[in-house]
Amino acid sequence: MKPELQFYIGKGGVGKSTTSAVTAVHLARNSRDILLVSMDPAHNQSDIFQQDFGEKPQQISNHLVVKEVNVDYWIEKYLKETEKTIKQTYSYESAFNLQNYFNVLQFSPGLEEYALLLAFENIIHTFENKDIIIFDMAPTALTLRFFSLPFISLIWLEELLKLRDQIYAKKEIISKIKFGRREIEQDKVKAKLEILINNYEHLRDHSISDATKINLVMNTDRLSFSEAFRIKKKLKDIGIKIESVIINKAQSKAVPDKVKDEFNHQKITLFPRSSKSLLGYRAINEYIDENNEIFVY
Amino acid sequence: MIPIVKTIKHKVVSAFHLADEVMRSKAVETIEYEAGELDNIFAILVLGVFIGIPSPPIHITMALLPDLENELEIMLQKVSTAHDPLGDLFSVLDID
Repeated sequence: MKPELQFYIGKGGVGKSTTSAVTAVHLARNSRDILLVSMDPAHNQSDIFQQDFGEKPQQISNHLVVKEVNVDYWIEKYLKETEKTIKQTYSYESAFNLQNYFNVLQFSPGLEEYALLLAFENIIHTFENKDIIIFDMAPTALTLRFFSLPFISLIWLEELLKLRDQIYAKKEIISKIKFGRREIEQDKVKAKLEILINNYEHLRDHSISDATKINLVMNTDRLSFSEAFRIKKKLKDIGIKIESVIINKAQSKAVPDKVKDEFNHQKITLFPRSSKSLLGYRAINEYIDENNEIFVY
Repeated sequence: MIPIVKTIKHKVVSAFHLADEVMRSKAVETIEYEAGELDNIFAILVLGVFIGIPSPPIHITMALLPDLENELEIMLQKVSTAHDPLGDLFSVLDID
């Protein structure tokens, strides 16, 4: 069975890393095999667990492993692979000065979210044996770009495929008239477009699948509310629904009316403010022991 | 068959094939031009990032680039006639 995917999203500083770490430890304590992945380029999980993480997953307990996605590693890997493929085709590349483009490609807009998408794809293929994969996401802007990327890519790819189909149809007519019944050569670009569409449909389906849960983390201040409402709207525009809302550092046990009204279809969970800093595996476990009612579903 | 008749027959058949080839090429000239234009538009759309027009996300451009050798060549050829698009069109339509 494929793992359930849980995303923790929200404004910077609301406690996405803390709530995702607490949930991961809680689920692992209940014998679920958990992978906690930090997708935020400014990683916090190392600070929370007081231990260094990287691309290689680290075992925290019997059922919990943690890794941090190194965006620079994925950008560099992608650029190296692309450069190699292009050099193979354009062996005379010096004529086009392609090398110069590669030096600036690393600064291209959109590369950061694409690197995250590559890392995400790799994770869901590598860790198919996990029960749940928890993604601690970057703040709003990058996260929204990450979720939109498969959708935007598909819009472009489908339009390019339509144009390619038109070209192919014309070339087929030319080939039939010029050479009789001879078969036209397979269009490599069309084939590549179809492969890409298939890949991005697969990635898009992950974000709208029932096995994917989006948890929106917020605090009780107005700025945090406003941003949470905007995130909900933006995700709704691309067809992604929020599964639950987590109010972190809650000071009372009552859910604010504004949140109740706006998120009336979502499960709302309150994570009480901790009296001490939640740093280290032991502190997280103590917090779970003190606030076990959070996880009563 | 007498060798001379054989030779004549062979020449007539070759002439027919040549005429057939010429007529077929002539018949698809316009549609070939159209296909070339579409190839050019496709290349401009995909490679827009290099010439400053709205373009797909960079990873789509980079994924397609290795297979766009032919389109790149067409695009470079079109650059040389870009200053006189009507002249280019008239020559395809055989208008002097």
